[in-house]
Amino acid sequence: MRMGAELAVAEINARGGVHGRRLALVIQDDSAKPEVAVTAARALYANPRVVAVIGHLTSAATLAAAPIYGGGRHPLAVVSPSASAPSLSRAGPYVFRVCPTDVEHGTRLAQFAIRRLGARSAAILYQNDEYGRGIRSTFSQEFLRLGGRLVSDDPYVPELSSFEPYLRRLRQRGGADVLLIAGTAATAQRILPTLDTVGLKPRVLGGDALSGLESFPRAEGVLMSSAYLPDRPGERNAAFVAAYRAAYLGQPLDHRGAAAYDIVYLLARGLDAVGADRRRLRDYLAGIGRTSPPYQGVTGTIAFDEEGDVPGKEVVVGVVRDGRLVMAQN
Amino acid sequence: MKAPRVNTVRSRLLLGSGALIGGIVAIAVLALLSLRALRQAVTEETALLSQVAQLSTGILAAAFDEVRAAELYLSEPSQQARVQFQQSADETYEFGERLRALPRLAEEQRAAIARIGDLQQQVQAAYSYAHALRDLGRDQRAQAAVGAAREPATQMMRLVRTLSANLSAQAEQGGTALLVRADERELLVWVVLALSIVLAGGVSIVTLRSVEVPTERLGLAVQRFSAGDLRPIHLGTMPRELAVLGDAMSRVGTQLRSLVQEVVHESERISATATDLSAVSQELAATASEVSTAMVDVSRGAETQVGGLEAAQSAVERLAASAGSNAELARRVAERGQDIHRLAARYQRDVAAAAKALLDLGGVVQQSARQVDALDQRSESINEFVDVIKQISSQTNLLALNAAIEAARAGERGVGFAVVAQEVRELADSSGAAAEEVAEHIRIVRQQVSQVAETMATGRIKVQGVEEVAQGAARALEAIGGSVSEVEEAAGRLAQAAEGNLTVVQEIRAVLQRVAAAAHAHASASEEVTAAAQEQGAATQQMAAQAGELSQAAQRLRGLVKGFRV
Repeated sequence: MRMGAELAVAEINARGGVHGRRLALVIQDDSAKPEVAVTAARALYANPRVVAVIGHLTSAATLAAAPIYGGGRHPLAVVSPSASAPSLSRAGPYVFRVCPTDVEHGTRLAQFAIRRLGARSAAILYQNDEYGRGIRSTFSQEFLRLGGRLVSDDPYVPELSSFEPYLRRLRQRGGADVLLIAGTAATAQRILPTLDTVGLKPRVLGGDALSGLESFPRAEGVLMSSAYLPDRPGERNAAFVAAYRAAYLGQPLDHRGAAAYDIVYLLARGLDAVGADRRRLRDYLAGIGRTSPPYQGVTGTIAFDEEGDVPGKEVVVGVVRDGRLVMAQN
Repeated sequence: MKAPRVNTVRSRLLLGSGALIGGIVAIAVLALLSLRALRQAVTEETALLSQVAQLSTGILAAAFDEVRAAELYLSEPSQQARVQFQQSADETYEFGERLRALPRLAEEQRAAIARIGDLQQQVQAAYSYAHALRDLGRDQRAQAAVGAAREPATQMMRLVRTLSANLSAQAEQGGTALLVRADERELLVWVVLALSIVLAGGVSIVTLRSVEVPTERLGLAVQRFSAGDLRPIHLGTMPRELAVLGDAMSRVGTQLRSLVQEVVHESERISATATDLSAVSQELAATASEVSTAMVDVSRGAETQVGGLEAAQSAVERLAASAGSNAELARRVAERGQDIHRLAARYQRDVAAAAKALLDLGGVVQQSARQVDALDQRSESINEFVDVIKQISSQTNLLALNAAIEAARAGERGVGFAVVAQEVRELADSSGAAAEEVAEHIRIVRQQVSQVAETMATGRIKVQGVEEVAQGAARALEAIGGSVSEVEEAAGRLAQAAEGNLTVVQEIRAVLQRVAAAAHAHASASEEVTAAAQEQGAATQQMAAQAGELSQAAQRLRGLVKGFRV
């Protein structure tokens, strides 16, 4: 995400900045922890040179920081590239995001499983937190709605010693066509070998939290939903990918970097239109897709609804092929 | 337009009641708004409270159910227990999420909710794991897994109970806050009420005073008028309605004041005039009495005068007769004087001729004496001349001697010259002798002249005596002439005076006759004047009496208007 943002800032400043003023990034690290995110948010809020915030990466951090940004006398817009928790929709008028919510990921994955994979049964391993529960809940609803059957639905915490009992019980229950891992890439790395141990071979599905899993050898063939894939068609995206690859050799590019890139350009447009004023900038953002035309970014069309979400934005499903996530046959 | 509008009783009353109504309306609006706000706050708070209550009891129940179902499934696995566990777990999670979304939570409450969420995740995951183990028949490992679940479960239950109690307490606090807000609103309403009462009271007092004070002033002014105090009244500012009344009163006062002032002024003038009149008439009376007294004297004097004049007339007649004889006498004196004068003049001419002859003689003598003296002086000068000639002849003799000596020295050639010198010497000697002779003759002449001069001096003294006698006679004659002239003149003057006297006496007689006639007329006229003066005196006294009455009337008038103060 940082690299995507820095690339955009460098490009804009190379063209003379906004109204002759150069853009500058103020970097804070929230370590993906809500309490750290609050501290970071306070620092950014107190800095009068900060006109908008790009972040946070995770929903929990964004949720924790949202009251800081939206309160006080000089509220500050925060635009997350990747916080996809449904509850973020109600976090206030100063919170925006350019990614689809988990609900949309779960729904999209269920549709993909039934329609593209022809699945009839599904098992779910979900991390027992907001993200995992969100994906699990929308997936199961859609899957059941489309006529599928849930074989198992088990929660876990990252500290869980072994997934073997869950998977062995799944085997006892006759297995499932697809396994939804509603959790992170780290957990998935532990689950995939266990599947082999237990002797199950379902198609493994996951949300965008599995990003990074593609570099894991066992991940070949794993399907994951994403707001963005580098091989997404479009000239603008191709130019971005080329620039990114040129700038950061060998560094993986995911939806977060691309979204951060889009957000920087979006904010630069806003600064150009209304100037460096926090409140006006927020109003400008809120008007995109409603009072002003949608923004065509590298990640797709950005148009905010009244809750700062982008409901029209597509969710794509990618598949790990040769260590890379590519567009699956949607 | 604004100022007069406010300055009427009506407008003040309107203002006062307007302020009161406005205050009441403000109170009503405020109370209504407060009630509405309070109702809304109560509704919100009640909703929140009921939500809090529902959520806190809900999470408590759900967490309890979750743990109970989990334990039940472990001891006796059943589909029912499994479903109940899953549902309860979902409910617990759901309640936790909803609690987290509650507004106005304290930091520690949020922390507690987050902690409960974490524990719930662990508990649910641990029980699920234990259930899986139980399903696989690994009871011992399941028991061990449950052991790991029970500790966070207990902690979770405790936290949930604490949170529940905490939220209840907060609900109570919410109620208290509502009460405080209600109290604040009530206080505000009371304050506005008090303010509007004060405002209305103030306006009422001001209005009352604005009516009362001018009315009182008007009453005082009327009392003053009725007590006869007509001095200008100062009513100050007052409402327009009362101001009209006040103006009218002021005008009435002004008119009364000027009227009374005029009366007073007039009576004073009359009084002064009457006093003057009285004084003048008294003076007049006094003068009249003096006049009549004087006239009595005059008429008496006139009678005396008539008598005196008659006596004077007879005396003048006598005087005129004596004056006529005086004039005759004087004429005769003058005639005698003229005779004397003529005589004296003749004598005077004779004496003067004699004296003149004497005086001529004296002149001749004197002339002779002067000629003698001149002769004497001439003979003196001849003597001197003789001496010169003698001196010349002696020197000539000396020269001739010297010439003879020189001629002797010259010898032959000097013989002729010696002869001349001898001749000169002889001439010189003869001129010397002639001069001696002349001197002798002159001496004799002078002796004779001296004798003549003595004789003439004696003659002159004798002539002078004659002259003095003649001059004395002439002077005596002249004096006589002068005296006679004086007598003559005096007689002339006397005669003239006697003539003049006679004329004067005659004139006096005529004048006396006229005076006597006038005196008669005068005497009768002065009697008339006396009578008139006496009549006038009576009239004047009557007038003085009337002036006194007038003065008294004026005084009475002044007394009447004195009651008014202007």
